[in-house]
Amino acid sequence: MDLWTNGAGLSLMVALPVVGAVILGFMPKKGEEAIKWIGLLTSLLVLGLTVAAAFVFDYDHSEVFQLGTNRPWITALNSSYEIGIDGISLPMMVLSALVTVLAIIYSWNHWEEPKNPKAFLILILLLEAGMIGTFVALDLILFFIFFEVVLLPMYFMIGIWGDKSERTIPVFNKVVENRLYASLKFFVFTLFGSAFMLLGFLALYFNSDPRTFSIPGLIDQAPALAALPFAGLIFAGLFLGFAVKVPMWPLHTWLPDAHTAAPTVGSVLLAAILLKLGTYGFIRIAIPILPEAAKDFAPLIAVLAVIGIIYGSLACLAQTDMKRLIAFSSVGHMGFVMLGISTLSEVGINAAVIGMVAHGVITGMLFFLAGSMSHRYHTRDMARLGGNLVLMPKLGWILSFTAMASLGLPGLAGFWGEFMALLSAFDPQAGLPVGLFRVALVVGAVGTVLTAGYLLWMLQKTNLGEPSEEWADSNFPDADKYELTAWIPLLILTVVIGVYPKIVFGASEGAVSALIEKAFGG
Amino acid sequence: MTYSIDYAALAPEIILAITVMGVLTVDVLVPRRLKYWSAVVALGGMLLSAAAILMLFLDGSGASMFDGSYVVDNFSLTFKALFLAAGYVVLLMSVGYIESDRYYQGEYYFLLVSSILGSLVMSSARGFIVMFIGLELVTAPLFMLAGWRKGDKRSNEAALKYFLLGVLSAAILGWGMSFVFGLTGEVRFDAVAQGMAQAIGDSATRPAAIVAILFVIAGFGFKISAVPFHFWAPDTYEGAPTPVTAYLAVSSKAAGFVGLIVVVYRAFGAVGEIWGPALWLMAAVSMTVGNLTALNQKNIIRMLAYSSVAQGGFMLVPFAAAAASDGAIAPAAVSATVVYLAIYLFMNLGAFAFILAASKHTKSGDIESYAGLSTRAPGLAVLGVVFFFSLAGIPPLAGWFAKFVMFSTAIGAKNTWGWTLGVIAAVNAVIAFYYYARVVKAMWFDAASSEVESEAVVGGSLKLALALCTVAVFVLGVLPGLASTIGDTAAQLLGG
Amino acid sequence: MNSFIKLGALAVEEVKELSTGGWAAENAWIMLVLPFVSALAILALGKRKKLWGSRIAIGMMSYVFLHGGWLWYLSITQGVVYEKAVSIGDVGQNFHLEWGWVVDGLSSMMYFVVGTVALLVFIYASSYMKGEKRYAGFFASLSLFAGAMLVLVASPNIVQLIVGWELVGVASYLLIGHYWENKENSSAGMKAFLVNKVADVGLIIGAIMVAVGAGSFRITEILHAAEEGTAGMTKVAVAGAGLLFIGAMGKSAQFPLHVWLPDAMAGPTPVSALMHAATMVTAGVYLLARFFPLYEGLGEPVRVYIMWIGAITLLLTGLLALVQTDLKKVLAYSTLSQLGYMVTAMGAGAYTAGIFHLFTHAFFKALLFLAAGSVIHAVHSNDMTDMGGIRKFMPTTYKTFLIGSIALAGLPPLAGFFSKDEILVGIDIANVTGNQFVLWTAIAGAFITPLYMTRAIALTFFGSYKGHGEPHEAPKTMTIPLVVLAALSVVAGWVNIPGVYTGFATWTAQRAEEMDLHHAESFDYALLTAGVVAALLGVVVGWRLWGKDAETQEARDTFEIPVLYPLLRNKYYLDDFYLWLVGLIKGPLARFVDWVNSYVIDTIVNAIGAMMVGLGGIVYTVLDQKGIDLFMNGLAGLAGGSGGKLRLLQTGRVQQYAGAFVLGAVVLVIAFVAIG
Repeated sequence: MDLWTNGAGLSLMVALPVVGAVILGFMPKKGEEAIKWIGLLTSLLVLGLTVAAAFVFDYDHSEVFQLGTNRPWITALNSSYEIGIDGISLPMMVLSALVTVLAIIYSWNHWEEPKNPKAFLILILLLEAGMIGTFVALDLILFFIFFEVVLLPMYFMIGIWGDKSERTIPVFNKVVENRLYASLKFFVFTLFGSAFMLLGFLALYFNSDPRTFSIPGLIDQAPALAALPFAGLIFAGLFLGFAVKVPMWPLHTWLPDAHTAAPTVGSVLLAAILLKLGTYGFIRIAIPILPEAAKDFAPLIAVLAVIGIIYGSLACLAQTDMKRLIAFSSVGHMGFVMLGISTLSEVGINAAVIGMVAHGVITGMLFFLAGSMSHRYHTRDMARLGGNLVLMPKLGWILSFTAMASLGLPGLAGFWGEFMALLSAFDPQAGLPVGLFRVALVVGAVGTVLTAGYLLWMLQKTNLGEPSEEWADSNFPDADKYELTAWIPLLILTVVIGVYPKIVFGASEGAVSALIEKAFGG
Repeated sequence: MTYSIDYAALAPEIILAITVMGVLTVDVLVPRRLKYWSAVVALGGMLLSAAAILMLFLDGSGASMFDGSYVVDNFSLTFKALFLAAGYVVLLMSVGYIESDRYYQGEYYFLLVSSILGSLVMSSARGFIVMFIGLELVTAPLFMLAGWRKGDKRSNEAALKYFLLGVLSAAILGWGMSFVFGLTGEVRFDAVAQGMAQAIGDSATRPAAIVAILFVIAGFGFKISAVPFHFWAPDTYEGAPTPVTAYLAVSSKAAGFVGLIVVVYRAFGAVGEIWGPALWLMAAVSMTVGNLTALNQKNIIRMLAYSSVAQGGFMLVPFAAAAASDGAIAPAAVSATVVYLAIYLFMNLGAFAFILAASKHTKSGDIESYAGLSTRAPGLAVLGVVFFFSLAGIPPLAGWFAKFVMFSTAIGAKNTWGWTLGVIAAVNAVIAFYYYARVVKAMWFDAASSEVESEAVVGGSLKLALALCTVAVFVLGVLPGLASTIGDTAAQLLGG
Repeated sequence: MNSFIKLGALAVEEVKELSTGGWAAENAWIMLVLPFVSALAILALGKRKKLWGSRIAIGMMSYVFLHGGWLWYLSITQGVVYEKAVSIGDVGQNFHLEWGWVVDGLSSMMYFVVGTVALLVFIYASSYMKGEKRYAGFFASLSLFAGAMLVLVASPNIVQLIVGWELVGVASYLLIGHYWENKENSSAGMKAFLVNKVADVGLIIGAIMVAVGAGSFRITEILHAAEEGTAGMTKVAVAGAGLLFIGAMGKSAQFPLHVWLPDAMAGPTPVSALMHAATMVTAGVYLLARFFPLYEGLGEPVRVYIMWIGAITLLLTGLLALVQTDLKKVLAYSTLSQLGYMVTAMGAGAYTAGIFHLFTHAFFKALLFLAAGSVIHAVHSNDMTDMGGIRKFMPTTYKTFLIGSIALAGLPPLAGFFSKDEILVGIDIANVTGNQFVLWTAIAGAFITPLYMTRAIALTFFGSYKGHGEPHEAPKTMTIPLVVLAALSVVAGWVNIPGVYTGFATWTAQRAEEMDLHHAESFDYALLTAGVVAALLGVVVGWRLWGKDAETQEARDTFEIPVLYPLLRNKYYLDDFYLWLVGLIKGPLARFVDWVNSYVIDTIVNAIGAMMVGLGGIVYTVLDQKGIDLFMNGLAGLAGGSGGKLRLLQTGRVQQYAGAFVLGAVVLVIAFVAIG
């Protein structure tokens, strides 16, 4: 199949959205229908490609980078246009394409002020290009570019369509619009991280021999690089870049603000995909290229991860804003992913991969729901909500289901990530302080209780009980067909992954075990 | 010793010189309403000169005149090309602007082209005398251009300041050069090189040699408006006509860098331990002071003025890195600076062109006045995002690669000096984003402050300028290979 | 065939087949999947076809009953021990994720119990819930509940066990909070879920430990490793087994994690019946039974705790049952107490006794709840002070309730007698410290059980009716299950009569692992009498205390022992303690974290931002504007004296700039000359 030789297919996945965005750019604002359809078709085309890729992908050699190519790009820096996917990037790639499609479908009749579908769709498509690009890139420079490219669309989404309400910044008592504060915070935080990440990349380049930015190439040089006196410093740089994106405590504070301020679709994409760029970076770049340094950092990462779990859950219990609660829940859930990664073990990384997918599906779903609810109630204050099940049964039950999935209910997607992460923490990579990791295991397990606690609490506040007199006689429309079309795939995926995790493990296992084997000699 | 002149090799300069005359004659001959012809002539002449440069490239056999103090090689050709490109864009920007206030068009183009001619001379200069001539030829016309808007007091003030400090810097530069001559008895850089090495080696002459080196650097420091020689920039930028400001911020800065590159790597190549730390310091301070100061600017031109100070700091990083690595990465460093300049040229000119176009809507230089531009002129607002985020170094806009090569030299130095400078630069890159984003925020996030709905039309030539810069910013951003090719071509200066 | 399709290809693998199962065993999965299918089907039909909710559920459950019963019959007759698994992904060399099913003595006995009790409860509920809110949804949840339990029971590996375990929890959450419009109910559901979640921390960590220790998720291999005493296993065995038990404490509501069960009465009565008899609280005991070889291998260490926890539970919760006025709560506490018996038995190493009591208890406790339900249905109140004299109105209900009570009280020849006696013997012959003391606790329990049951019967069925309206006997659909269960409560005990016929022991011992179960070969007459005497004493005392009160129509507790009574009324203040704890976490602690987030971390972040801008301001004003003035005027001279003339310019300060310029150069020079 010619599409899959010399990376045509993967390149298309990145190119198509850009093309679509450009086309939209030249469309007259009037033809809203046409604009929407072009946007949708583009994203569907990309999804089709990713799914096709999933079918031609060779699962027996999921550790080999497939369907890619390697063309000279910046010859002066031996940086090349090297792309390809393995079992780790494949699921994320498909997920990105899927969520984009659903986001567009959902947007169909949910335009937040100031509407302007044209601009919004352009941003979504650019975002898609960036996300998929990051997952297919096998060259540090390429990775860096895509990693950064996603910032702009998200920045504008939050800034233009974001929450116009004002907030006072504590201590400074400065009043700012949420969207302005959040968008800037989001951008500066990430930029700060990625600036150091870039320094790290350069350090890798200049200490590699032959000098290269190619990720596989650098992985082959891992032993030599490990010998560097300042390998730890390099890892620290990468760590900053990725940890901000994940986000890991205490670099997380941009997340709740960004999520709360972002328009629904923005939050969904942010939660579903953007956060994963960080964890993916750890798995794809930081650990395999600098395994020894990773070992030195692992305990720190584990500690920060479990702090994140507990801290995030407790913070959730203190929230009154539904969306902000969900945002904080991400801190906790990504904590589990990072715990898995920090163990540097086969089980742990696999846990992280499926955890990433699951969190993408489930938390993305939660943000959809939070959006649809505030779209109707015009408030996210849980003190005022309640009886949602009475007012909107469909939406309410979907919310309950998703919350259950989010608290890691076995049989649904969320469980595997958590359970496997904990399992790996009991028996981390040889040479890591077992005691510390076992403490982390216990703390993390306690975290699951708190997680269940705040999610059930949220359900009780929003879903159960009789609606307060404020809403008693208001008859909201229940989930409409656009919402359901956007949601049902995610709900199905939640169950399918829960019942049949092989759909992810089948792809990741081979790649992960090879990765670990190479990095730590198994 | 030969003083034979290779006219072919001088073709670009000669063509420009003729153009200068042409502009004047046209100005005298044609009636007022046809004055724009002088612009046409100027543009035409520059294209011709550019063509000549292309020829020389393809011919490839360069030339060396005046006992090797005037050289035509890939380095000089590269820079000449860049200067012409920049000048061309600035001219395009000027047309509409100068027409709008109807007087002295001819003279304007005359002066501008002369300045460009000067920069061409500088790029070929391999001796202090030629270098000095070129430098003055670049600067002198700008003294007048800066004060072009006679009616405007601020413009006059700008001109006066620029003049006085320009003179001062020339004085200091000359002072330094005379020291060098005194120490080495040479003016040609190649010859100076060994001389300086000895002078530094000899404890008796060492202090004098240091003074010489630093004064020369200080002299160029003025041109590139590096801290602490930058004070003139904000006032002058603000006062001068916008196209002139653009020229000051880009071409004149570039000219300064040409001088610095040649002098530092050729004349003082052997004594990196002296100028290295000096430039390291200048780089660090310029970045930091420039960025921090830019944070609080209300006026967009002043902000760009300080940002250009900071950008100058970034461009100095490779020098420091080269010195820190004992010249190991000198070619890479030169290449990096050139790449940065080339990209900076387009994105900064673009920014100014954007401001010029936007001013028709905003009617003011206040950043606040850009509020809601996205609704009034979406297309323009998009361009604004392109240029300002390119300046901030956000991929895939060209700016990222400029920053990238700069970082790469810092890290490539592979020692603490390099690393530290890299980290300082990284932090500065983040700070810088903050004020560039302020403009974008104003354009896109803030609601338009009600008042007049302007249906301003952007002149054709300005459109062309914007188009050129936009294309360049995207192409160089996505295919940075091109930029690095330019850089490497120029870097052959050291390759020999 | 490397493509995506391959991911879809199920890899079924034979795990163990000691003796052929035939079709029924090979396709036991149908029994596990069907409930979920029916739950979905019910939801699909949903509102439009309410009645189909119960029909589908009952139909599905009848199949489960038949299949389960058939399986047990097979395992009894042919001693089937069969295990099969479907791979759902591999993680690392050791860890294969699988869905599967086990058919052996233990599991098929559970299939039978779940099938029978659930079926009867479903039938009962179909009319009990008539006209209630979310009729269809209720049956969907019930199906889920039963299905989850079956998944749990069938699990050949510890992961599936956890899955079933938590699904049971979630189903119970849905059912307890069925009337979620009312906050108490939803809170009760939350309480049940969260308390169990707390216990699950133990379960999950324990599971992880033993799994890693044995290098496999498969229970058979874990137990094998435990018996072999492999190096990896012995390291973690004690801790792992202990933690697993904590999980069991949650589901089987052992003291002090029992607090959720009484509140769970908020759910409709059929739910209580199901939950207390077959599908939830038995899970913990089942876990202990399933991992019995592990615990047995450990000897003393963990088992002594298990035994004691059970003993404490059976005594303390039994006492609590004495002071309840809510009929269902009496039964709830009695369940706790009975679970205490089972757990103690397991701790004592009396495998047979433990699950035998589970077996019998399932029937008579289901019976009691359903009977109580029909009373409640009739009088529209749970409170025994609204009842009395019901026996006249609802004879069938009364008779069946009486049978259930006798069975529970452990009087011969009904079911409870045999199982309880078996437990006493088990404890007596146990080789665990303090078993004699525990024995006496158990006998005391044997006295308390009839005590509170008598009280309940007296207050409910005797005396005169204190409620409103005229209670009527329940419809056939409700009474038939009662009768059936009553019958079972009578005969269920006869499958294991020491010295006469001990089939049950041998059936349930048919497993992949060898176990030596020390169960009573023949009656220990001393204990037998002790038990019976205690029970009879309980009845008599009970009647003396409340029977006459019932006659004099004052339903009140005749004993108000100063300290004990308030203590019991307040449930040992445990709930208050937990509430305080939760309040602490949800209140101050959470708020503190949130405070840290916005006042510490964010403040630092904002401060850095503000600092930069501020610094910019300073640099601008001080260095770039004013500051120059301060020290430049002197140097201005150097700038070519032009300074003076320039004063005519208002702003600009060229001279300073020039000065700065020169200063810059000079400073540099001085510096470098000095260095150089």
